[in-house]
Amino acid sequence: MGKTSTTSASPISLPKLCGADIELGNFIAGMEQAGGTGRDASRALLAEIEGLPKHQSSYLDDWWSKASIAPQTGAASYAGSCATTSDWTYNPQDVSRRFLAGNASSAYIDLDHVELCLPEVLSAFDHVAAWHAMLRIMRGALDSANAGRPADRQIHVLVNNSDGQGNSYGSHINFMIGRRAFDNIFWRKAHYLQFLASFQVSSILLTGQGKAGAENGRPSAPYQISQRADFFETLQGLQTTYNRPIVNARDEALCGLHGGGDPLAPARLHVIFFDSALAQGSCLFRVGPMQLILALLEQGLVNSRLILDDPLIALRNFSADPTLKATAELIAGERFTALELQSAYLEEVKRHAARGVFEGVVPRAEEIIALWEDTLGKLAASDLMAAAPRLDWVMKLLAIERTMDERPELDWDSAEVKVIDHLYSSLGGDGLYWAYQASGFAEQIVPPERIAHFTANPPADTRAWTRAMLLRRASSDNVDVESVDWDRITFKIRGRYAWPSYRTLDLANPLGFTQAEAQSIFDECADFGELLDALESHSAGDALPLDSIAVNPGKRRRSYALSSAVQ
Amino acid sequence: MRFLQRFNEQLHGQGSGDDGPGSSDLLQQARSQGDSLLAAGDQAIQRALAGSNSEAFLRAGRQQGGQ
Repeated sequence: MGKTSTTSASPISLPKLCGADIELGNFIAGMEQAGGTGRDASRALLAEIEGLPKHQSSYLDDWWSKASIAPQTGAASYAGSCATTSDWTYNPQDVSRRFLAGNASSAYIDLDHVELCLPEVLSAFDHVAAWHAMLRIMRGALDSANAGRPADRQIHVLVNNSDGQGNSYGSHINFMIGRRAFDNIFWRKAHYLQFLASFQVSSILLTGQGKAGAENGRPSAPYQISQRADFFETLQGLQTTYNRPIVNARDEALCGLHGGGDPLAPARLHVIFFDSALAQGSCLFRVGPMQLILALLEQGLVNSRLILDDPLIALRNFSADPTLKATAELIAGERFTALELQSAYLEEVKRHAARGVFEGVVPRAEEIIALWEDTLGKLAASDLMAAAPRLDWVMKLLAIERTMDERPELDWDSAEVKVIDHLYSSLGGDGLYWAYQASGFAEQIVPPERIAHFTANPPADTRAWTRAMLLRRASSDNVDVESVDWDRITFKIRGRYAWPSYRTLDLANPLGFTQAEAQSIFDECADFGELLDALESHSAGDALPLDSIAVNPGKRRRSYALSSAVQ
Repeated sequence: MRFLQRFNEQLHGQGSGDDGPGSSDLLQQARSQGDSLLAAGDQAIQRALAGSNSEAFLRAGRQQGGQ
């Protein structure tokens, strides 16, 4: 379908590293109070998660929060950006952040939701494993927090994105893309933005968690494919808490400085569009196909005929029709269902995959493509029972309709149906997804051993490895961790006369400081100061890090591309 | 009509075409197997709905809007 534009294409693509920052629903059952119980629930939960730095500004947090003077919304919402310091500012979107020395992840409180941040991974399959590992850690915190609470005041955690009462909270996935690609999407090439938005909108049939009902002033619907569709109101923008955009323009690389105009410098695409996922298939489809589509965008391989005329209306119509019959108009005038549009995107990806476009850029691209194709095939065949083990919205739909069959007095407006909706995403022992996983109905896409691994270990192939090892080493060497952020750590080192000095290690290159690069440095340096010296020297040799990580996908092996090769 | 029922009708409509002999048996077998695995959730649903006030539970679940 159509021709792919390759004009002004960059031949360079960055490996599609990804992270995630995901808010949870949290409340105390049996208690009703103005504004909900999220504040108390989130703090009780976070108290059960150990991390660094040790000092947290909880007193100030509480004082400021009770004073109710903190802004609740704003365009400059940068959760994910704030280092864990004990300074005098209070940000309700980043309270008591801590990094876990076990797996290099992070947890904090964002607007009274516990927020879990995954360590950087390269593979979509590792993203699935790291997410389920993080849920396992959170489940342990939930059990501990509930252990001393009365049975009628238990804390509940929901891995979803909406309370059904008009309040939404996000499940954000972050992808590394080149600065040129970022600028093309948001500032230079409108069809890049539309290509991406149209892909995301049609992807809900793979990534949606499903929900009963509609919110946010949208027309009533018995069941929707997407939890978040009701909350998107504009095509693109910086904001994340109101008037939410399908494509978020937050420009925050978390890779040191912005690269001084180097088109190869890394940028971070902050994707706020997707639902939270429990089914491992849905979880994979939030990342794998996005990696492939972003790689196409980065290389200028954009088929401008695969663009929806109005992505916002298409999203509303696709989400509200679980029969998958709803169509939306493309700018070329044709009408496509979400399934047809996804199939067209898949064909684009397959065509370019045959030319080796994803080699070195998207790990296990062939497996992602195969799963994508197989799942679309099941949906095209109307075989919901076959698709359900892989997709949240289908699994949840089956659970609700089974109950409605058993209890004919229930309809889609019944409170009991909404309870089942929430119950599906419950992290606790009552959670439906976990029951389906235990029975063997929910499909396992990653081995349980990989999930167990990521509960206590960082990914070995990104800077997350060194972050975790440094935090562990600081603890064992009795060195204070002053602050931590994704691209730097500051230590407080006691001098000879107990006078402290502060040292910051830059971890700007997300693909640097891997186990392969840094293991020997850790093994050889017995002294903490020497260790930082050695890591700094290693970092200094990586002064143009992107030159060493950019990949020319047309080649069979990694190439060392020069910035000047890119226009 | 339930959504699942609509899909099933579409599925059977498609299945009556060029599928080989026994394909509908296989389909039925897969569905039965899926049903038995899904039954694992039925108990959890019954527990959640029995003896609890669903509307109060939903009200308690009210969240502050997030990102």
